[in-house]
Amino acid sequence: MNIRCAKPEDLMNMQHCNLLCLPENYQMKYYFYHGLSWPQLSYVAEDEKGKIVGYVLAKMEEDQEELKHGHITSLAVKRSHRRLGLAQKLMDQASEAMVECFDAKYVSLHVRKSNRAALNLYKNSLKFETVEIEPKYYADGEDAYSMRRDLTEFAKRIKSLNEE
Amino acid sequence: MPSSNPLPPKENALFKRILKCYEQKQYKNGLKFAKQILSNPKYTEHGETLAMKGLTLNCLGRKEEAYEHVRRGLRNDLRSHVCWHVYGLLQRSDKKYDEAIKCYRNALKWEKDNIQILRDLSLLQIQMRDLEGYKDTRYQLLMLRPTQRASWIGYAMSFHLLEDYKNALNILETFLDQQQKGSNFDYEHSELLLYQNLVIQESGDLDEALHHLETNQNQIVDKLTFKDNLGQLHLKLKQFDRSSKYFKELVRRNPENTDCYKKLIQAMQITEPKDIVNFYLYYAKKYPRASPPKRLPLNYAEGDQFKTLVDAYMRKALSKGVPPLFVDLSSLYNDKSKVEIIEALLLQYVEALKKVGKYSESEVNNGPKEPASALLWVYFYLAQHYDYLNDSNKALNYIDDAIEHTPTLIELFVTKGRIYKHAGDPQKAYRWLEEAQALDTADRYINSKCAKYMLRADLVKEAEETCAKFTREGVSAMENLNEMQCMWFQTECALAFQRLGKYGEALKKCHEVDRHFSEIIEDQFDFHTYCMRKMTLRSYVGLLRLEDVLRGHPFYFKAARCAIEVYLHLFDEPLKDESAEQDILTENLAPSELKKLRNKQRKAKKKAEQESAQQREAQVKRDQHHKSRQQGDVEADAPQLDELIPDKLARVEDPLEQAIKFLYPLQRLSQNSIETHLMAFEVYYRKKKGLLMVQSLKRALKVDSKHPKLHSCLIRFNRFVAENKSTWDPSVQQVVAKESQPFFNGKDAKTLNKEFLTDHATSLRATLEGARMMYHLDEKCQSQALNLVTNIDNKYQDVNNEICTEILRSLKRGDFGSCDGETEEYVQRCQERFPFSAAYRPPCAADGPISGGGSNHASGNEENCNNSN
Repeated sequence: MNIRCAKPEDLMNMQHCNLLCLPENYQMKYYFYHGLSWPQLSYVAEDEKGKIVGYVLAKMEEDQEELKHGHITSLAVKRSHRRLGLAQKLMDQASEAMVECFDAKYVSLHVRKSNRAALNLYKNSLKFETVEIEPKYYADGEDAYSMRRDLTEFAKRIKSLNEE
Repeated sequence: MPSSNPLPPKENALFKRILKCYEQKQYKNGLKFAKQILSNPKYTEHGETLAMKGLTLNCLGRKEEAYEHVRRGLRNDLRSHVCWHVYGLLQRSDKKYDEAIKCYRNALKWEKDNIQILRDLSLLQIQMRDLEGYKDTRYQLLMLRPTQRASWIGYAMSFHLLEDYKNALNILETFLDQQQKGSNFDYEHSELLLYQNLVIQESGDLDEALHHLETNQNQIVDKLTFKDNLGQLHLKLKQFDRSSKYFKELVRRNPENTDCYKKLIQAMQITEPKDIVNFYLYYAKKYPRASPPKRLPLNYAEGDQFKTLVDAYMRKALSKGVPPLFVDLSSLYNDKSKVEIIEALLLQYVEALKKVGKYSESEVNNGPKEPASALLWVYFYLAQHYDYLNDSNKALNYIDDAIEHTPTLIELFVTKGRIYKHAGDPQKAYRWLEEAQALDTADRYINSKCAKYMLRADLVKEAEETCAKFTREGVSAMENLNEMQCMWFQTECALAFQRLGKYGEALKKCHEVDRHFSEIIEDQFDFHTYCMRKMTLRSYVGLLRLEDVLRGHPFYFKAARCAIEVYLHLFDEPLKDESAEQDILTENLAPSELKKLRNKQRKAKKKAEQESAQQREAQVKRDQHHKSRQQGDVEADAPQLDELIPDKLARVEDPLEQAIKFLYPLQRLSQNSIETHLMAFEVYYRKKKGLLMVQSLKRALKVDSKHPKLHSCLIRFNRFVAENKSTWDPSVQQVVAKESQPFFNGKDAKTLNKEFLTDHATSLRATLEGARMMYHLDEKCQSQALNLVTNIDNKYQDVNNEICTEILRSLKRGDFGSCDGETEEYVQRCQERFPFSAAYRPPCAADGPISGGGSNHASGNEENCNNSN
């Protein structure tokens, strides 16, 4: 599997992967919006034939009031490609780009309360912390955990690596 | 120029309020003010007011009235730029871009420096790729607004897109010179520099590109792109050491990126496979958590080294329990010797794990035993391995061993389904997916796969119901999936409908996919302005280039192919009456069964009518709901597309013209696929267009001169020319004769066909085409032709279920005339040869699909199916 930054021509295949894997779907224009606003932030995992097997679709929150931070709009890995550690690798690359290009201090996301596999990934592997519960966040009425991962430590590590 | 009919102050103030209301989307208020002006007897026909009223009405979804008002307004004031501008906006909202451009140009005749109109015009020009026009308009905008950033960028970009790099770079440079140096963290400036660098690179001046990057290093925040560009530029300039430096940094940054390793290998000038293996082994040690340096050496290692490496690789994954191990290794299966090594190792693992709990019996005394799950993962792997090698029997045995070991693992059921699918039994296949789905109803991936398998088994309704578990409530799943542009589903639906002979339904789905592509092309519109502001110009250029070839996407190809096939079929066998669609289903039924079926059809029809009446009602309600919402603040920007009505689509008067609409994008964007040209031939053959047939055949020959299907096209063309050339214009005759000379070397169809059959005597796929043509050219050869394709025993090297199923379809279609007896015998033989395939069983499931149900239910039906044979 190859993990690389997404290009405009990947966006349609990311939409396909999203429709296969997740209940929250978006029209192509929304993918374009991400790819054309923050081209560095979205990543794909592809197999040897160049098929997209996982992706992270990410953005910056541009509210002047708040601390600069990134947001994960959508993250999916095909079930046929689980347990390869792809989700974590995708997230790490996206987070690094948020720090590097947009000086992000943290990254946020929402996750379904019932999605224990995802919750486990965010909490234990990626060190996200739950900030609050957003009641009825999803269209079907399910609550969401609003989570955050602090990126300042991450930024320092990158910096020291780059200065080596 | 001002309006020819200026308003007095009071009315003029009202008019300005109409404009404001339009901008603020307060359409109802806008109409009120318009009414106040128009109710003044002096101004009932005031052109600009009528035009603005029309534009406002359009935003409320009242299109016809809108056109009527705008046109009347324009007639009353032909010299008003407002009226022309409004007419342009109206056409634009209707996606009639060419017309809109004409209107804007007229508006500019009367008001040549109007910024808003110039901007609107430039958007349409870039959308329509009128690059010369775009350049002119951007020039005017720059002259009028030289202080605005977007003016410079837009003008520079117009040259870039015209590949006039020199001018593009001059403008960018002039603009950047005026700019003050930003802070360290100016993302937009950084993007602009990277865009400038892209233009320099495309101009071909690599040294300058390199220099440009190095000088601006501190102002570029996107270090990934920065380093990647430097690495690639040094590589192209053969400055290998410097290139290596950057790719080493990139590998460190993202050790999961396979491209970086490959570039680094180039930069380090490593070419020998054994050196490449060592390169990766070095990085595997350096970055122990990274996957590529462990996986990629397997592509290059051979023999014993391969065995050692793959052994270690598989053991690790099997002990850890990595389900995608086979998916990960399957690209190695092009190499037969590697397949043998892998197979031998796995068989060794099975034996050793069973006996001593180790991967090798000789390791019995080294360390602790492997986890019990290791054996499960070996079984799982072997099932996929044998499935890949088309050994359904072994594959099923191993998957059953795995299921017995762990009866709750979803992946096992998915694989069992896939084995049946590959073996040619879509019914059994989908039932196993249903089983898998039941084990985890919260997983959409499994749900999607299950729906797909249902569609492969032609169960459209069941598939829709399955998908409905994840679509929005309150709308039908079909509608929601269409709204979300779920093309895989719609294309699979189209193919299922095609197989079911529901041609109108199939076409509807194909057109829906086509409309998604139109919509995605529309989507660029807003980004023309947006990206200039955001400065993400590299991605913007990427978007423009992507949109230019959008219909080259495989999703379009699949849907277009289905549509073309259906239209060809509808040309060959037009629908006669209401029941004609059903006829193909009933051909082989006994009278009593037929009666049952007819009864069922009557009931189904009645039910369908009721349902569609309900749907219409619901549609009306939705429309009303939509309208009431729009009256608030939503723009009614999207034009209403004609409803796709299956029956109308299937009874279209000119199916070949319709097919050509789907064909054109393929000819332009999928010219590397031979199928494009074979389909083009089929269309033009039916249209009797000799020259276009020649064109298609020439293109097909260029892609793959050995393709078996090309042969039957050539033979039919040869015969077509022989029979028709006397009626053609002499110049056409001459061109056809000259261009087709290399196809035939002066030989006639029969001779060519005979030669083809001799040359391809060991290929069943090729022989099928030769035999079809043998009968086509001379019906007296029927038994000889049939003999070639129905005696599949030993002379052919490529016998498999797929080709044998195709032969059966060909026999049933009448390609060999009437041949019931031979077909029956052929079916018998295939049934013995492919016991798992459903293609040769009598249609025992004619009573319709079995819906829902757990495993007992499902396997119970399988029993029935087998018993009734």
